[in-house]
Amino acid sequence: MTGTVRFFVLWVVAFGTVNATAQQQMLKDTIQGSSEPLVITATRITSKFSRAPVPLIVITDREIRRTGLLRLQDILQEQTGVAITNAPLGNALNGFPNPFGQGVQLMGLDPAYTLILLDGEPLVGRNAGILNTGRIAIGNIRQVEIVKGPSSSLYGSEAMAGVINIITQQPEATSLNVQLFRSSPNISSSSVSFGNKFKHSSLQVFGHQYHSGGFDLDPQLWGKTQDPFRILAGSTKWVYNPTARSQFTFSVRQNNQVQNNRYQVELASSPEIVAGKTIDNDFTAFSQWRLLLGKKSKFFLRSFLNQYSNESWVNKEKTGEPFDAIHFRQQFFKQEMEYQLPFSKGSQLLALAGWASDRVDASRYAQQPPLNSFFVSVQQEWKLLHDRISLNAGGRLDKRNDFAARVSPRIALSWQPDARWKVTASAGGGFKAPDFRHMYLNFSNAQIGYSLIGATALSDELIHLQQNGLLPTGANITPFLQNNPLKPEYGMGWHFRVRYAHQKGTLAIGIFNNRINQMIDLFTLPFSRSNGLPIYSYRNAGNIFSRGAEVEAQLRFSGNFSMNVGYQYLLAKDIGVLESIDAQKLFRRDPETFATTLLTRAQYVGLPNRSRHMGQLKLLYEDSDAGRFAYIRFIYRSAFGWADINGNNVIDDHREMAEGFLLVNLSASQQINRWLSLQGNVENLLNYTNPKYAPHLPGRQVSLSIFLQLKSTSSK
Amino acid sequence: MRTFSIFSSLCLIGLVLFSSCTKEETPTPRPLTRVQVLSVPFSTRGSHTFFSFKDSTAVTVADSASAKWDFAIRFARIIVNSQSSGPGNAGVIMQDGIFSNITSAPLTGYSYDTTATRLAIKDGSWYDYNPRTHAFIPKAGKVFIFRTANGINYAKMQLLAVDYAPFTGPVPTTLLYKFEYTYQPGNGNSFQ
Repeated sequence: MTGTVRFFVLWVVAFGTVNATAQQQMLKDTIQGSSEPLVITATRITSKFSRAPVPLIVITDREIRRTGLLRLQDILQEQTGVAITNAPLGNALNGFPNPFGQGVQLMGLDPAYTLILLDGEPLVGRNAGILNTGRIAIGNIRQVEIVKGPSSSLYGSEAMAGVINIITQQPEATSLNVQLFRSSPNISSSSVSFGNKFKHSSLQVFGHQYHSGGFDLDPQLWGKTQDPFRILAGSTKWVYNPTARSQFTFSVRQNNQVQNNRYQVELASSPEIVAGKTIDNDFTAFSQWRLLLGKKSKFFLRSFLNQYSNESWVNKEKTGEPFDAIHFRQQFFKQEMEYQLPFSKGSQLLALAGWASDRVDASRYAQQPPLNSFFVSVQQEWKLLHDRISLNAGGRLDKRNDFAARVSPRIALSWQPDARWKVTASAGGGFKAPDFRHMYLNFSNAQIGYSLIGATALSDELIHLQQNGLLPTGANITPFLQNNPLKPEYGMGWHFRVRYAHQKGTLAIGIFNNRINQMIDLFTLPFSRSNGLPIYSYRNAGNIFSRGAEVEAQLRFSGNFSMNVGYQYLLAKDIGVLESIDAQKLFRRDPETFATTLLTRAQYVGLPNRSRHMGQLKLLYEDSDAGRFAYIRFIYRSAFGWADINGNNVIDDHREMAEGFLLVNLSASQQINRWLSLQGNVENLLNYTNPKYAPHLPGRQVSLSIFLQLKSTSSK
Repeated sequence: MRTFSIFSSLCLIGLVLFSSCTKEETPTPRPLTRVQVLSVPFSTRGSHTFFSFKDSTAVTVADSASAKWDFAIRFARIIVNSQSSGPGNAGVIMQDGIFSNITSAPLTGYSYDTTATRLAIKDGSWYDYNPRTHAFIPKAGKVFIFRTANGINYAKMQLLAVDYAPFTGPVPTTLLYKFEYTYQPGNGNSFQ
């Protein structure tokens, strides 16, 4: 407590003692940061950014603040090779609020294949494979790290395209940060972050509030494209050092989002308005004990809990009669221990072992037992030839109660012949375990009447349907009564990259290739329900690849200008489709002339929702002496596949594609005094909207942010 | 029954004009190629909508127990006038290919509706359902080769589109099956 009191005295009485050196240092940073950031996600051992053996994007807190953006997905969208995509199913709802939201597409792989970590721990609660990144408040983020390429060797399931690790502030020095935000048309937000250092411990507290009045992109449709919602979030982190060798970390975090749903449903008699709420709760608790063993080696013991729930209901507005209510709750608990022996005698070692329990309780899901898993991971890194070559090799074994053990290896080689050049090559295997939806979903569409049944729940449900006379007589269900458990999807990816650094900037060129095998996909059962409508379930089928090239460049011009360019070229295709084309089994029918022809490889564009060209250009003017900057970013996505119209279920015609788009975001800031700065932002300057293809993009938003930043160095 | 759209009526008129202009004394009639639209109720219950290649028209439900129809549609289910579905001798072969490149019908290998749940044309075998647009899109390059209900004549057919007739309210009322077919009215199995 004494530290807190001292801090407030400092704050109130004497601003002169508040040292702004660190802040001014930060102002000197260029877009990527001249002082090299420390990273952890690539190897789980803290190292310098330039030493990372795999492709990595680092978004610093400084960069986040500079963009003036408040949604994590908007910040991720400004990075090379990252696209924000809408869940295909959500778009089918014709103006109903999309319950699936948007997800992160990394290197052309769907959101389900990117693991999202918060302070190194995996978040659960995916809806149709998508984790709503709106659950993560950005006001206390210290750094976001995006690792590209299969990382299951360290993180297990889902890390096939890569890993996004959101690292929150560590309590380091006494500091207070306040951000107030107000944006057109109807968004307001505030956040407060407070850190303090005591004698043997330190504390970080964060509170965040966000309110959006929603927006409407399509006045033709009743209701808003985005219904109004508010977020309340809070977290606290406490670090306690009882001795010089021992350290405890405890943190809890809660994010609560309430959305007011109000839309029109078409009932048999007449349309009716329904209204209700969607309440989304996300709670995490984390504890860690770190013990320094020898000179450098460390031992960690960690526990992590994530409870996620989403409850949604609507009632008929006239009568108050319940219309629909669904819930989804997931609880994930993990315990692990880790041993790190950082570099000594040219090699470093990491060993990790733990277990996890995962449980879902949801409407539309069959009853099911918790899924228990355990894992062991080992990684060794060697430095060779006077540190010019580093070799990182590791693997992880994952065993869950419903499938055979999986081993995921990774090897990464990096060669730095001199200070300017760096060549990295990495290859790894990844997997994605079948999720609860694939196994236990039991959904019947009331309006049209089809059924979608998870693979594990299938046999029980078919017996149930048959006993209730919902299957036609003679339907042969026997082949589906054996337990045919789904197998994990698995894949392999490699990345090759050359980076050249110069005083004036850096240039990196890379190529990558990822493949996913035995993807879990829908199939139609050979018999239908007695009402004639199909029954769908899931099975392992299909292989895809995504391959491409990327270019990233940072340039520092003379004066206060700098530039950052990123570009990704992508080809992502279904291997089964290519085989069918070669076997002359796929056709296309012109939707206007009805002329049917064989589909060719050249006509086949690829998997839906992927843009062949994506890129961003960022220009920064920063005058740190005058305490001001101006920042403009151009984000481009070329046309991407949408829906088949010509009878082959693949994207092969420009009429099946959504148009490309360009977003322009602007921000400018002026430091008023040592602790206060004002920032103005224009998001989506060109006012690009597309209610059908990009419902997550509101139109132009003009906003003002006020930052209050106080930092004390005297508490050390 | 208003099962013909204006389009198909126009086709029919055009065909009549065409054939009357070029009418010659030919020993074997030339096969007829037409595009027609069949209106099918958007319901999985109730009766099928029956069609005859020979008469180029829908057949009334009253004639459903006869060999006057060749195939029938209910919602997205297609039955063939054979065995469990009707008294006719119709059969079907589903073949992948370009419609115009199929110059003759095979003489053997036809499938029948052996039981109500084992139909010659399996459910979902000819379309993809798109949940984004709610469209039933016929698979391109799927050609249905029919032996007609009399067991003598042959026809080839491909579905071009399944559209929703304009509707108000939540649920569509009518599916419009647009299809192209070539019917050989004479002896033989040639479509040329």
